Amino acid sequence: MTLSPLNILLFGVVLLLAVGFYGLLITRNLIKIVLVLQILVKAAMLALVLAGKASGNLGLGQSVAATVIVADTIVAVVALALAVQVRRRTGTLDVAKISTLRG
Amino acid sequence: MENLSYLVLSLAAAFCAYRAMISKHLLPSTLYLACVSAIVSISLYMLGAFEVAVIELSVGAGLVTVLLVYTLSVVGDDTYDPTSIIPKPFAILLIAAIAVLAGWMAYPVVIHPTANGEVLLADVLWKHRVLDVWVQVALIFSGVMGVLGLLSEKHQQPKEQDESQVLEKEETIAAHAKQEIHV
Amino acid sequence: MTGILVGLVIGIPWLGAVVLWQTRDEHPRLQHGLAVGFSILAGLASLALIPFSSAATVINLPMGRFFGNLTFIADGLAVTLSAIACVIGSLAVIFSVDYMRGEEQLNRYYAFVLLFIGAMAGLVLSGNLLFMFLFWEITALCSYALISFYNDDPRAVAGGIKALIITQVGGVGLLAGALTTYATLGSYQVSDLLSKAETMPTGILGLVAFGFLLAAAAKSAQFPFHTWLPDAMEAPTPISALIHAATMVNAGVYLLARFYPAFEHVPGWTLSVTLVGLISALITAFMALIATDLKRALAYSTVSQLGYMVYAIGVGGVFASQFHLLSHAVFKALLFLAAGAVIHTAGTRDMRRMGALGKQMPFVCNVFILGALALAGLPILNGFWSKELILESGLSEGPWWAYAGMVLVAGMTAFYTFRMTWLVFFGEARESLHVHDAGNAMKISLGLLALGTLTTWLLVTPFNSLLQSTLPFHAIQSLNLSELAVEIFTAPATYAALAMIAAGLGIFWMVRKQASGRSAAWMDALSRESFGFDWLNQRISNWTLGLGSVLQKTQTGILSWNVVGILGALLMILIFLVWSVR
Repeated sequence: MTLSPLNILLFGVVLLLAVGFYGLLITRNLIKIVLVLQILVKAAMLALVLAGKASGNLGLGQSVAATVIVADTIVAVVALALAVQVRRRTGTLDVAKISTLRG
Repeated sequence: MENLSYLVLSLAAAFCAYRAMISKHLLPSTLYLACVSAIVSISLYMLGAFEVAVIELSVGAGLVTVLLVYTLSVVGDDTYDPTSIIPKPFAILLIAAIAVLAGWMAYPVVIHPTANGEVLLADVLWKHRVLDVWVQVALIFSGVMGVLGLLSEKHQQPKEQDESQVLEKEETIAAHAKQEIHV
Repeated sequence: MTGILVGLVIGIPWLGAVVLWQTRDEHPRLQHGLAVGFSILAGLASLALIPFSSAATVINLPMGRFFGNLTFIADGLAVTLSAIACVIGSLAVIFSVDYMRGEEQLNRYYAFVLLFIGAMAGLVLSGNLLFMFLFWEITALCSYALISFYNDDPRAVAGGIKALIITQVGGVGLLAGALTTYATLGSYQVSDLLSKAETMPTGILGLVAFGFLLAAAAKSAQFPFHTWLPDAMEAPTPISALIHAATMVNAGVYLLARFYPAFEHVPGWTLSVTLVGLISALITAFMALIATDLKRALAYSTVSQLGYMVYAIGVGGVFASQFHLLSHAVFKALLFLAAGAVIHTAGTRDMRRMGALGKQMPFVCNVFILGALALAGLPILNGFWSKELILESGLSEGPWWAYAGMVLVAGMTAFYTFRMTWLVFFGEARESLHVHDAGNAMKISLGLLALGTLTTWLLVTPFNSLLQSTLPFHAIQSLNLSELAVEIFTAPATYAALAMIAAGLGIFWMVRKQASGRSAAWMDALSRESFGFDWLNQRISNWTLGLGSVLQKTQTGILSWNVVGILGALLMILIFLVWSVR
């Protein structure tokens, strides 16, 4: 089977995504969730540049990837600020304990 | 040769990500995340996307790491109960199913790099996708405002404190905010 | 001209509803006056519409691709029912002037009554299936709001909610039928469904047909949805007369009559309709035999008579059913309003506590007897002509066992009607109740309705020609008054029915002492549980509530489980993508 290097990188993206999703499921710490989201973002950005390279439109791929980086970094910043507030108000960062829904 | 290097890079990135996820304390996780960032940046450079590689390195390995470290200093690096709420076998099954299906979809698509059209990144970024850039600027501003608002709520909570203490608190918050913007 | 009139018929009551909503309780005379004024104007507009009726589409407003065109068709079926709705509506409003004297929140009452009248007219005039559904639901809303008008009484609220839920379940059938028609034929227009029904595949047409039957049965309180109408008697009596005797419950019969040509060839449909009508008539006549609450007995008799109309449609006598609808609307409204006059002064609805009221309330007693004779089907009154027409078409075109059942119901009708009259107005007084005769406003309504009971059968010729000329898809045979008289008096069906009625009368006279006392325990138990259907309703609602509490456990609020949900959705999308690419 003739795998081009881009194929291998695509498998790498899938692998990173799998690790990221697994982390999202497993973790109980809010800040670790932000961290795991960053891993997912890197995987997505890599996939975007791969697509740009494959279709020959690397400039477009790069600019979209840059947009994704900026947007997701802002998300991380705001999420961390929220986590700090959660910690201040409820005293814990444990996902199971901050839920106030009954039943 | 290229195949091998890409393979090694992918596996290394996955390994670092796994370690980042597994470790009990958050500080090692942050460092492993920086490693992942560096590896992804190298592969981006090898693909030919030079500018994005640089952005990724400075933002991912730089900004995000510092952000996380700062937050950890504010919040504290406690260890929480590591047993996850979702039963592990179920989680592994779900992820394996997703990974297999996504891999199945990725496999037949044998991609060969096409020759790059003569479009420079600068052209694309500032002419064709200039709207994207403005949206990013707006995002950054709103994000900073949001964070300032979130983190400065502290002085509204205790109402019975006298004014000097309130002023003191405001100063510390302003100092923190300034620190953050500089970072 | 027709378009303007149609707009007036729907618009005047709705304008009145908006105006009355603004009034306050400090000016009761203004409220009563405005309500009566608007309802009379609406009645006049609807009567003025009758000469202009035709099969043509009257108003045609494009409402975008999704809703189709908003059309109104003012054909014979529609103008008759809208005239009934508006005229009896105005009589009920006139009656309410006396009945609701001194009550609070009359703005809510009158606004909903006027909203209802406009919506009912819109329902029957509508030529677009989706808008028909809209008007259908508005009438259900008004019915609920008016049943629960005394919203401090938990029984009234429970009755209102029960009515709302059961009629909504039926509404789903109508909506499903309308959407299926749109999906198959590409249009919501009623005329399209009637003309192109044969082009639809049988399974799909069957779906539409039974969906409409479901909606009609739920709305008209037919089997198996007959449990809500007796409980809806907590409403003020003018409402019971208007909504639950003369207009809203006729919407189901209207639906079946309107779409009969489209569905008559669907295998099993006409048989189902006949069965639904027959079973409803039988079991509710049985329950009326032993009822002790005056309004409940009248409610059971309403369902029973509606069963007659549905049965008539099932055997193919569409004209007979509409003729009976006209007669029934008049005499049932009369009975309800007279009963309302009695209940208003006596302060109770329990017939066992009344007795010998006839001497103290002569006017009400006389009109009640008139209505009762029409209900039982004695000659000369309008109930006789229409009921005999139904029985005759049933004998000639329907299954013989259904006919036998309906004749039995005629006998039972006579029995319980006379029992009701006897218990309330004759015999000896079981309690010394001080009652007085009806007030002037009540007398006007009752008098006009009594006049109608005596004379509406004379309208058979114009009614028949109206329906024949404006309904191109129904095959209505022409019939005029002399033909009607000859047909009825020479048909053996008539004499069979008359014999049954006489038998009912005779049996009642023999057992009249027992009939006023307690009934047998098994009859009581059967009737109280509505033949088991109330228990079924309770089980279904309990099961739904239980399902809700079980599903509540999936909302944990814990982030990890939410992520499981997200990833599960991602998995399903991936499966779909992989499977569709192959």
